[in-house]
Amino acid sequence: MPRMDRTGAPVDRKGVARSLALTLVTLTLVTAAALRAEDEPDTDADTAASSSFSSTAGDCPFGAATPRGGRLIIQRAPDELLREGRVAPAAFLARSHGQVGLSSPSAPARTHRGLIDVEIFGKMATDGIAPAERSTDAEFLRRAMLDLTGQIPSVAALTAFTLDERPDKRDLAVENLLRSDAFDDRWAMWLGDLVENVKTTVANGVEQPLGRDAFFTYLRTSLAHAKPYDQLVREILAGNGDSFASGPPNFWIRNIATMGVTQDTWDNEAAAAGEKFLGMQVNCTGCHNGAGHTDAVNVYLSTKTRMDFWKNAAFFAQTAVSTAVDPASTQRKYLLADVTTGSYLLNTKSGNRPARAPVTGQSNKVDPAFYLTGEKPQPGKPLRAEFARMLTAHPQFARATVNYIWKEMFGVGIVEPVDGFDLYRLDPAALPPGQTVQASHPALLAQLATQFASGGYDVRALLRAMANSEAYQLSSRYTPAAWSETYTRYFARRITRRMTSEQLLDAVFSASGVWPTGTSSDALSVQGWATPPTRAIQLPDPLEARGSRYNAFLNTFLRGNRDTNPRSSDTSALQALALMNDANTILPRLLQSNAGSLVARTLKATTKPEDIVDALWLGTLSRPPTAAEKATAVTYLKSGKLGPKTENLQWALFNKLEFAFY
Amino acid sequence: MPSHKEICDACTLGGSFPVRGEGLSRRRLFRVAGTAIVGSYFADVLTAPRLEAASAPALQGTARNCIFIFMAGAPSHSDTWDLKEGAWTPAAFAPTSYGDLRFAQGLMPKIATQLDKFVFVRPVFSWAAVHGLAQTWAQKSRNPTGVLGDVSPHIGSVVSLEAQAQRKPGDILPGFVGLGTSSMIGSGYMSSRYAPLVVPTVSTTGLQSVKPPNAAVFAERYALLQTLDTDRAPGAPYGDVPADMADFYSQAKALADSPTINATFSYNASDYARYGSTQFGATAIIAKQLLAANQGTRFVQLTVGGWDNHANIYAANAGLFNQMKAFDPAVGTLLADLAVVPGAATGKTLLNETLVVLIGEFGRTVGPVNAQGGRDHFQRMSVAFAGGGVRGGRAIGVTDATANKVVDYGWSGNRDIRIEDLTTTIYSALGIDYTTVLHNDPIGRGYEYVPFAKDGVYFPVNEVF
Repeated sequence: MPRMDRTGAPVDRKGVARSLALTLVTLTLVTAAALRAEDEPDTDADTAASSSFSSTAGDCPFGAATPRGGRLIIQRAPDELLREGRVAPAAFLARSHGQVGLSSPSAPARTHRGLIDVEIFGKMATDGIAPAERSTDAEFLRRAMLDLTGQIPSVAALTAFTLDERPDKRDLAVENLLRSDAFDDRWAMWLGDLVENVKTTVANGVEQPLGRDAFFTYLRTSLAHAKPYDQLVREILAGNGDSFASGPPNFWIRNIATMGVTQDTWDNEAAAAGEKFLGMQVNCTGCHNGAGHTDAVNVYLSTKTRMDFWKNAAFFAQTAVSTAVDPASTQRKYLLADVTTGSYLLNTKSGNRPARAPVTGQSNKVDPAFYLTGEKPQPGKPLRAEFARMLTAHPQFARATVNYIWKEMFGVGIVEPVDGFDLYRLDPAALPPGQTVQASHPALLAQLATQFASGGYDVRALLRAMANSEAYQLSSRYTPAAWSETYTRYFARRITRRMTSEQLLDAVFSASGVWPTGTSSDALSVQGWATPPTRAIQLPDPLEARGSRYNAFLNTFLRGNRDTNPRSSDTSALQALALMNDANTILPRLLQSNAGSLVARTLKATTKPEDIVDALWLGTLSRPPTAAEKATAVTYLKSGKLGPKTENLQWALFNKLEFAFY
Repeated sequence: MPSHKEICDACTLGGSFPVRGEGLSRRRLFRVAGTAIVGSYFADVLTAPRLEAASAPALQGTARNCIFIFMAGAPSHSDTWDLKEGAWTPAAFAPTSYGDLRFAQGLMPKIATQLDKFVFVRPVFSWAAVHGLAQTWAQKSRNPTGVLGDVSPHIGSVVSLEAQAQRKPGDILPGFVGLGTSSMIGSGYMSSRYAPLVVPTVSTTGLQSVKPPNAAVFAERYALLQTLDTDRAPGAPYGDVPADMADFYSQAKALADSPTINATFSYNASDYARYGSTQFGATAIIAKQLLAANQGTRFVQLTVGGWDNHANIYAANAGLFNQMKAFDPAVGTLLADLAVVPGAATGKTLLNETLVVLIGEFGRTVGPVNAQGGRDHFQRMSVAFAGGGVRGGRAIGVTDATANKVVDYGWSGNRDIRIEDLTTTIYSALGIDYTTVLHNDPIGRGYEYVPFAKDGVYFPVNEVF
């Protein structure tokens, strides 16, 4: 049966695909030179997306550690594709614009369904829910680049990708994005959010930019070297040494409880480990037993006691923490060391938690035992290393990690909230009476976690499996029927979300082609860094770029502070005002008088309204206009003086919801 | 009587809070529960199903606005609203008697001139003694770790929801505005229309980015955007999160087009000086102007930090003296100004119509100071009310010699006053039925404006009126 477009006419899939490609080629030939922003900072994200791939990735089954070799990179220019005969010049010259069917992808869907697709599409089929259509190439590329590298594609990358006719080009693009430096930038931001690496906090108000830098460098380097995630977490939990020279000790420092007793800090470390790496609010039992408190919220926690929490926190009691002044910077740094003495004692009446006291007649000394299993440390081994070993060996560690990353890619976790796991509500076959399963797809979560663990906790392999699934590649437009929010937990379409502060600012830079000059306030300055980063996604924490003219824009989109104020995807009137009127970020980037702007470069290359519309759509929204959009925009451009009208059109595209939401 | 299962008596859970599940937007959660409430920005959504209380409580209805001054970090109650003098008391406090009230006139000279407007509520007891938990509790009026903790709205959002039906054409300002912090609690599972407009820093030039440089160009651009952005339409295939944003564009456009918006959100040099020449003082000026504008804003929160005085609480240029240099002239001048600015109703002043609440998340240890010369976290606390029908110049309840234990509760409850009691008091003053339960919450449990209020567990401190 022939595929139908929305008007009911049969769609020639190949023809439509070629038509899209031809629009891109035509545009590129007209304005290619003009559209290339000369001052675009070096990045390999674009190159990666638009390059062919020829390394050992094909030999890398899900689970094996990702090789870092083969970072390829041959740019396939459109004219090269033309020369190779992939696109016939005569054909595109004969064709006109405006025939682009956005709902029809050009790359074919895979026929073999992997684990994710079996589970996601299987549940939809069982419950009679139709999935959205497959994303177009343009929609896919913008999404994959934003999710994997935090950047939107350049026109060149989009063009090359669209023209690429290899059936596995999406897999190849994903592979290249996973191997790009931009991947490390974007996922270092994610890791930094998870472990809350920040130079200062309310509880620990002394600025520690050097400690923050050490942790940031550690996290980013670990990603670049494809360090197994379980190893990374063990290092973070058991870190020793100088907080300015080594990253891991900063996790401890981040969780120090000031103005309290030492046990408060140990409690914080255990609570943070539970939340960040197990996705669990073990902290609920830090002040009281679960019974009578969490019964209606979390069945598992309602079976745990404050004593269970104390035993878990006792793993942190043999850590010596001292401070010293760093001679070079004169900043105060921390030194962490394992020691063989020290016990968690129930002898406090002050501090940040209720009094700690033993049951009458019992010892006030608490021996360490792991919260989830009761396992005790092996004699003679450092307690934190033992804790880290037990935590990363527990299946909940892999489950929580897979779920955190799933949410990052799919918008909603398989278990929500991602830091509120109830271990007694995961197995549909063993539910407590009257309870419902917490996971939307329990078998998928279990199997992904098992594969993640057995494959060496390879984050890239996990992301590869997700990005290459048909489930991930569904369109955000839902056309089979009226959308119902009950379909959300089925992942029946791409769940759109607002870009983060950093993604959005970088997208404004990238789309306009006007990057920060790196001087004075026109720079993403970082305390203590000689050279500011060129992209917001490269900032080491969300407190940075304070003196920058872009700081307010970043804060308006709720990047949080990794302390009292979590990153948020909420929207607000101030965000709308910023996108419409921000005189530092938006307005100057619209101007024809700004020689580097997309508007200026386009108008320099062409005065043909049709080509201007194509250029602005591709550069800003990473897709060609629909026929209706093009007609509206062309009519508008013809309604007055071309320069101001083009600026206004660029303004409208920055404010189209599709720009900030992906 | 219900069990107190949800109420966490000894809970002082600290540190970071569970981040709200961001994947499900509030509205999306709303709809997962099967109750679809959407519509254009100005739509009336007060059609949410309610469970009527067996008998509606008598409400004060003496106020139409609320200025909620949140003293983040927890001020020392025994140095402020429940002054206890001892060897520790600095001479510069200059404790003075005003009728039955003892007050640190030297610490707060301007507020001292306005004491006839204040009632100090003294037998208050916080549920928690850790900042994050207690601050969230105070602003949501419920246990943040409870079942609806993550998705429950700020009390300002409830006020905004209740005032929605009273909005009139030209009411361009949001019902709920938060000044002085970037980390306001939002509208929880409720529509983002009831979320606060958050302005972390106010300035002499108005709301940042609100005014386009050229109104005609802006109008043309906005019109063009409407022709291109079909995804804004209700039912568009992108779903609800972008639809929330579309609501905000409508709101932003109305603000941008307003000829008075910059005047409302900015301040002049003379007022700035009168309010103490501080950022907090400036937020107080703008709070007054927002209410005087009478364009839809009904709840304004001013957040002012710095009260966590674990050390050196009485040092000359630190601790409380430093705090009060900003706080006292701002609050004192605000009260004096509200008393002379005309209100919405004929013959009423803004002070008549506005309940002013001064509240922190808990109190501080009492008696002699600690080894660092400061005061630590403490659950006994005091709260101050003014305006909006409050009878001033008084205190509710009597505490012992150090403001630790209660000697006389001084109110009909004859027990410790909890944050939930204070919220019922605020709602009652604003004419809001605090026993309301909405059944549109994401898990279908029922969202009580104040937990257990419909069961009579918590009720207003009517003695303040």
